[in-house]
Amino acid sequence: MLDKIGGRVSDRALKWIFLIPTFLFLLFIVIFPLIWSLGLSFCDYNAARGGSPRFVGFNNYRHILSSREVWERFAITGRYVALAVLGEFVIGFTLALLLNREFYGKGLITTLFLLPMMFSPVVIGTFFRLMLDANWGIVDYLLNRLLGLPKIAWTSSPKFALYSLVICDVWIWTPFMLLMSLAGLSTVPRYLYEAAEIDRASWWFKFRYITLPYIAPLLILALLFRSMDALRFFDKVYVLTGGGPGEMTQTVPYYIYKVAFSYWRTGESCALAYILVIMIIGLSSIYIHYLNRLSAR
Amino acid sequence: MKAKGFKLVSAGLLMLVALTLFGYAKEDVTLTIMWADWEPAHLLLKLAKDFTKETGIKVRGNFVPWPQYHDKMFTEFASHRTSFDLCLPDSQWIGEAVEGGHLLDLTDWIKERVDLNNYPDMVMRSYGEYPDGSGRYYGVPGLLDFVLFAYRKDLFDDPKEKAAFKEKYGYELGVPETWEQIRDIAEFFTRPDKNLYGIALWQAPLATAGLVDEFLGLFWSKGGRLWSGREKKKVVGYLNDEAGSEAAKLWAELYKYHPKGAANYSVSEALTAMQQGLVAMIATYAAFYPALLDPEKSLYHDKIGFFTSPAGTDPSGKKHHYVQLGGQGMSISAYTPYKEECKKFLEWWLREETQWKFAEAGQITPDKRVVENDRFLKLAPINKVVRESLPLLRDFWEIPEYNEMAEYMSRKLNQACLGQITPKEAMDDIAKKHEEILRARGYY
Repeated sequence: MLDKIGGRVSDRALKWIFLIPTFLFLLFIVIFPLIWSLGLSFCDYNAARGGSPRFVGFNNYRHILSSREVWERFAITGRYVALAVLGEFVIGFTLALLLNREFYGKGLITTLFLLPMMFSPVVIGTFFRLMLDANWGIVDYLLNRLLGLPKIAWTSSPKFALYSLVICDVWIWTPFMLLMSLAGLSTVPRYLYEAAEIDRASWWFKFRYITLPYIAPLLILALLFRSMDALRFFDKVYVLTGGGPGEMTQTVPYYIYKVAFSYWRTGESCALAYILVIMIIGLSSIYIHYLNRLSAR
Repeated sequence: MKAKGFKLVSAGLLMLVALTLFGYAKEDVTLTIMWADWEPAHLLLKLAKDFTKETGIKVRGNFVPWPQYHDKMFTEFASHRTSFDLCLPDSQWIGEAVEGGHLLDLTDWIKERVDLNNYPDMVMRSYGEYPDGSGRYYGVPGLLDFVLFAYRKDLFDDPKEKAAFKEKYGYELGVPETWEQIRDIAEFFTRPDKNLYGIALWQAPLATAGLVDEFLGLFWSKGGRLWSGREKKKVVGYLNDEAGSEAAKLWAELYKYHPKGAANYSVSEALTAMQQGLVAMIATYAAFYPALLDPEKSLYHDKIGFFTSPAGTDPSGKKHHYVQLGGQGMSISAYTPYKEECKKFLEWWLREETQWKFAEAGQITPDKRVVENDRFLKLAPINKVVRESLPLLRDFWEIPEYNEMAEYMSRKLNQACLGQITPKEAMDDIAKKHEEILRARGYY
């Protein structure tokens, strides 16, 4: 039957027949919402009330960029991203260095380390909320009963709430850093280490002049992906702290959600989302520029 | 050959169309009710079997956990198509829903079919009328709910505790009648070394089921005012006046007697604190009381009593006594194709016999025909409190902007409890922000 169809339809036409459904899908699910939301970002619009969007030019952007509240949320998001990505990088890379050798059970242990990445962030956030509870959580129980430390209100203390989010994020995404670091370490030719051994090079010399140049591009890629992802995270905040206590963990994505679906300031939420996108693009450009310089070397 | 093939395909298509139309013609009507996923909702579904028996109209539930309920409902409204036919929005959501054209206007239907004398005025105003005082109705009373207190009877009745309390505070330990007495009792029972704390109130910085729900009972009882009135809606100088600031100060003081980590306490955390014996008192919405008396969930199920939200005095010494209204009205989605069937359901729901069945199952009805009958007092352990609270009910803003205003208030007072700002600063900030929100929405 396909031969018969192929006989009447040209290769070029057949190619388009297969591509058009994907294009249409991308158009309606990705392109159209992007253009529509960009348009809404220049309008005063309440999706719950309906009616027509009212064009207000750059008012939404002006209001956002001059709002102290929004900048405070950017500061919270920046602190979170820096702590989380740094923590994931240090722990993930250290684990990769330790696992980058042959030993009994390597496969099983590596798989176990990768497991946290497989779970839904909402499920993990819920479990962390229970574990970090000051009165009934296992974490405080162990800290208090075994180590004699005072109980910590992890998710509701202004001092620790952001760290509780960081701990949760590090637990989930360190395996990603581990995976990328292992991939990078596996590309380093063994003979370079052997040659360095013969010349009695120190561990630091081998790391600085052999390991690092080989794995740096992959590490930067991993940092880029994690930073982009961390800047957009919402689910763990929603489940673990709800943006509290006070405003301590109200990150930009969580605030966008609130503005969009609780306050129904649809135009303003679109504008803030685009500001965040521009920031992510800017940050990614810095990473990619550095990556290109390394590749050129 | 080709003609035969064409005929076969055409016949097949015609059969398919006929079967589909036949299927639609024979389809039974099933009404979907959206509500929060809790005990009263499941009970409503059980009772609805009577409605199905009588009318042949089936009823099913679309129940959503409380934290997601508002956003889920209004996201569906925003799409102008709902998966539900009937809904029970929280009382303060009515303005938001009506302004968007999402609820069916029931004014004429209510005038014909409903005796408004069966319900307290505050109940009809909060659950069905918008704007306030307009005489236009978009819902009928669903579940009556309000904030009440639960306490540990064994601690309050213990002779040693009573003697020690009297010695320290100069009056008898008993069910508190004022918010200052709540503070004294909370302080008295705060013993961190024994893992016992005085009180657990909702402190979560949320617009619904958060700090504001429980703070406002105290706020109004201290003479506080949310704004100058529905006409002008001026907030600065009203919300943050001396009465309002005193209320915020007392609220922040009460936080000292909460368990560790209470800054994000909402429904389940406060209930768990009471069920596990962590606190001597909690405040919660009355509809949640079964969880406190369930032997499978509560270690102290046989030691818990209930009392009405207490009174307060304003700075001039005048007494005020208000109880925060909660609960939901029952409304019809403007997008349902089954409007007449939904009205039949409302009619069935409002019948006295249906309200009696609801009350007999331990739930709270606002129907005066039931509540004012002494038999009602025997149906549930909280019903004495229900009767006492009915004339004291008060609700907060029902305008569409309530969500943002309530959430901001919750966040700022949450910060005040944590010592990040003073209570006075919190109230000043809230007043300014509320006016900013109202100005941006064109109220001034």
